Amino acid sequence: MPSTLSRRDFLKIGGTAIGAAVLGEFIPPWVAEAARANGLLDATLSGYIPSMCEMCVWRCGLLAKVVSGRVVKLEGNPDNPHSGGDLCPRGQSGLMNTYDPDRVLTPLIRVGKRGEGLFRKASWDEALDVVAKNMLDIRQKYGPEAMIFSTTHCLSQTQFENLLNGFGSPNYGTQRSLCYNAMIVSNMVTYGMQEPDRKYDDLKYIILTGRNLMEAISTSETSALSHAVDRGVKLVYLDPRFTKTAAKASEWLPIRPGTDLAFHLAMLNVIIGEGLYNHAFVSSYTSGFDKLISAVAQYSPEWAATLTEIPADTIRRIAREFAAAAPYALAHNGWRTSNFTNSFQTERAIAILNALVGNWGVAMFTASGESNGPLGVPPQPPYPRVSAQRLDGIPWKYPFVPLELGVFQELREAVLSGTPYQAHGWLIARQNPAMSLPDRGRTLAAFAKMDFIVTIDILMNDTSWFSDVVLPEASYLERYDPLNIVGGKAFLRQPVIQAQGEGKSTLWIYKELGGRLGLGDFFQYADEEDFLKQQLAPLGVSLDQVRQQGYVDLPVTASPATPSWSTPSQKIELYSTTLANGGFSALPQWEEPLTPAAGQFYLLTGKVAQSTQFGTQNNQLLHKYSDEPRLWMNPVSAQKLALADNDWVEVTSLAGKVHVHLQVTEAIRPDCVYLTPGYGHLSKGLTVAYGIGACDSDLHVTYTDPVSGSQALSQTFVTVKKI
Amino acid sequence: MSVIQHHAFLFDATRCIDCRSCMVACSVENKIPVDKTRIWVAGVGLMGQFPNLSRASMVYHCMHCNEPDCLSACPVGAYTKRPDGPVLYNPNKCIGCRYCMNACPFGVPHFDFDKGLIEGAFIDKCTMCPQRIDIGLEPACVATCPTDALMFGERAELLSYAHDRLAAQPARYINHVYGETENGGTSYLILSHVPFNELGLPNVPSRPVKEVSEEVMGFTLPLAFGWGAVLTAVAAGVHFYNQKKEADAKKPAASERPAEGPQ
Repeated sequence: MPSTLSRRDFLKIGGTAIGAAVLGEFIPPWVAEAARANGLLDATLSGYIPSMCEMCVWRCGLLAKVVSGRVVKLEGNPDNPHSGGDLCPRGQSGLMNTYDPDRVLTPLIRVGKRGEGLFRKASWDEALDVVAKNMLDIRQKYGPEAMIFSTTHCLSQTQFENLLNGFGSPNYGTQRSLCYNAMIVSNMVTYGMQEPDRKYDDLKYIILTGRNLMEAISTSETSALSHAVDRGVKLVYLDPRFTKTAAKASEWLPIRPGTDLAFHLAMLNVIIGEGLYNHAFVSSYTSGFDKLISAVAQYSPEWAATLTEIPADTIRRIAREFAAAAPYALAHNGWRTSNFTNSFQTERAIAILNALVGNWGVAMFTASGESNGPLGVPPQPPYPRVSAQRLDGIPWKYPFVPLELGVFQELREAVLSGTPYQAHGWLIARQNPAMSLPDRGRTLAAFAKMDFIVTIDILMNDTSWFSDVVLPEASYLERYDPLNIVGGKAFLRQPVIQAQGEGKSTLWIYKELGGRLGLGDFFQYADEEDFLKQQLAPLGVSLDQVRQQGYVDLPVTASPATPSWSTPSQKIELYSTTLANGGFSALPQWEEPLTPAAGQFYLLTGKVAQSTQFGTQNNQLLHKYSDEPRLWMNPVSAQKLALADNDWVEVTSLAGKVHVHLQVTEAIRPDCVYLTPGYGHLSKGLTVAYGIGACDSDLHVTYTDPVSGSQALSQTFVTVKKI
Repeated sequence: MSVIQHHAFLFDATRCIDCRSCMVACSVENKIPVDKTRIWVAGVGLMGQFPNLSRASMVYHCMHCNEPDCLSACPVGAYTKRPDGPVLYNPNKCIGCRYCMNACPFGVPHFDFDKGLIEGAFIDKCTMCPQRIDIGLEPACVATCPTDALMFGERAELLSYAHDRLAAQPARYINHVYGETENGGTSYLILSHVPFNELGLPNVPSRPVKEVSEEVMGFTLPLAFGWGAVLTAVAAGVHFYNQKKEADAKKPAASERPAEGPQ
């Protein structure tokens, strides 16, 4: 690359310029004393402040450009391995979430009926007192287990867990079972870790199974894949839709939904049958290979061809090519893997495929995970003992699902059935079950059974709309969060502007609420900065230093010379003794998925680059550049149903029906339809998003995989007719 | 890093994933109203029939021509071409005539029909973010591109990099760098895997429209004077002929007239 083209150099120059400005001419004041001391902003309240994105869960590093105390632009922070100087459209639009005119900026207490949208403003003291009183009343009447706590994937999650565990409830709702339970549980039984790290640098062959990385953007990984494609990697992509990832693939295989498992079983069959596996790696580092041989002998490419509708020769050729490219070959284990009830088996087959070709240490690595590393933790007492069963069936119904993952849809079902006991209260932080859980009608019915619901969010989301109290969170550009460890550095999220209205950080909210619940000992920090100082204490680094740089380097830890896996056999378990002991199949096996009846379509879901789950559709900048969320249908099917592009259609499933515009497109199999998730909002407090599109959760039928607890999000079948 | 003499973009359609991060970044950086945009997606998107499909799109900026037609066409000098690349527009000079829109072979300048004359800013287009490049930053769109489909730098170096890519992966690309010669060369260079017209790009001759029109317009004075001279000569000829004819006619008539006169 010519010198002037080097993006890193360019950004470094930019960074140097910024750095020089910071060290040079900065003088007070700013919104906070510390920023003044740091000189992050100049006399005109302008400058760049390093922080961290929260438009999705990838947590890219950012540099926020502030002018006159207002954030005007966000840049990727080149020092952060997750952004590498880039931001995706959501990251770029982040300031519009902060400046959304629909922000909830004071605590609200409901005055009308639930779902009517009538609230009155309240002070923090009053709102927190109301919340604490209701929670304590519920605990007194029904026991602490009658309170459900749910939140997902945020940096203050440890403090949320203090609230949950300190209160004494076992009922923890995350959204994992609607996302990646199948992948995590399969990796845990196979590799003894939740998700091995991946590297694309040296790869020659990549198989993506429904992993739409060019639209479900994780900035650094999307970038790495893109550069691999640029280098000429062979990219095989399985998806019933021609996504933007399919457009970049060397080979797109429009596989029949629910049969990814058959494809990968046939891959194992060929690689073992033809002796293409890495003999040395398999014998040294895996266990149960001999049992696997007989288990996959029946799964020939010819057998898979009839199920997948991919020719047997193609499967055989890809298996050979994949093995020949090994160890520079990766079968990506996916991200949102909750597709069919057999998705756990699919994930197991993919995990084993990688092990057979011995790509460990080249394509896959020991997970760095999200541990606290060498950071300090505020002192806290032990949690009270919890004797009540979890409503979501862990572990009594789902023994292999980790406690922090949960089975969210089962939690909702337990609320409806009142078994094993009735829940009465729900505290929901930065989560929107009214949109995320399948079968929205049932979720709203579960809300109706609650004596008390409180939500914490920056917007009046659809769940807040049905809540009794809404607590306004400061946006990610307005608050501190606990540190985040990425690639040997601990990154800081810090306020780049003063919180608008009365928005507060969840570190503050949990502490204040905890205090009122008598749980003050679990929140032993004076404020957010004190929390961070306690985290930094073991490193001997001041918060001001970290604020200046945006991160702190952590002491280098030596990686083990030989790979090790935390499984019972200390090896990669092709045959899982854990699964066998639990009464499940110890080897991957074919499980026939449900199929649509005549006249029905598979209802597919999947991300677009311009939105994250259910929280960004109200962002005016993203809305501006988003496509209308219409129902995709192949022209062959549309013709059969006498439907034309842009027709207004009714889509009906076992769970419900929605009305939406039709998009006739070649980019989907004729037996499938696709709906962009995250639309069809119920809250009229979302003035941009309300009234746009339809909600796939109105259609999704609840099916749970018995091993991983995954909700099968593509196992819903629909009919479509013109209205 | 040396100072860049001639800034240019290089857009590689094979790398673009149509995520629109560039568009959002541009809107924020340049404070574009929510219902307007300076960058847009051109091209057909999806091509072919299931399952033989391909996709192509490109993010359309100003081409920042070496010989900008907008500038030539503007009667009030609202456009300037900076020697280091950017074609800039000054709304304070603009009278809203929209000649630039007609002149631009790429259809770039767009008119703000929502505003009246008094409200100013009539035309909008990409500026190459001079507020950023002048302090050593890439334009907002380039800086954020997650797949490096947009690159930025010295035009000559980008061109040689583009040609290296064409040579290294001939099967991947159409063998041409669009913008190298189009309209006399542009500061927005494009590599593509599909014919350029499928990206929404026009077939523009190498010779800049401006140069052609200047040459044509160069004939105006000689032509005007020449034609004037011819017409004058013709008019003079006709005049003298008529005079002569009149004079000739008068001779016999002169003899008649006295005869008629008294009648």
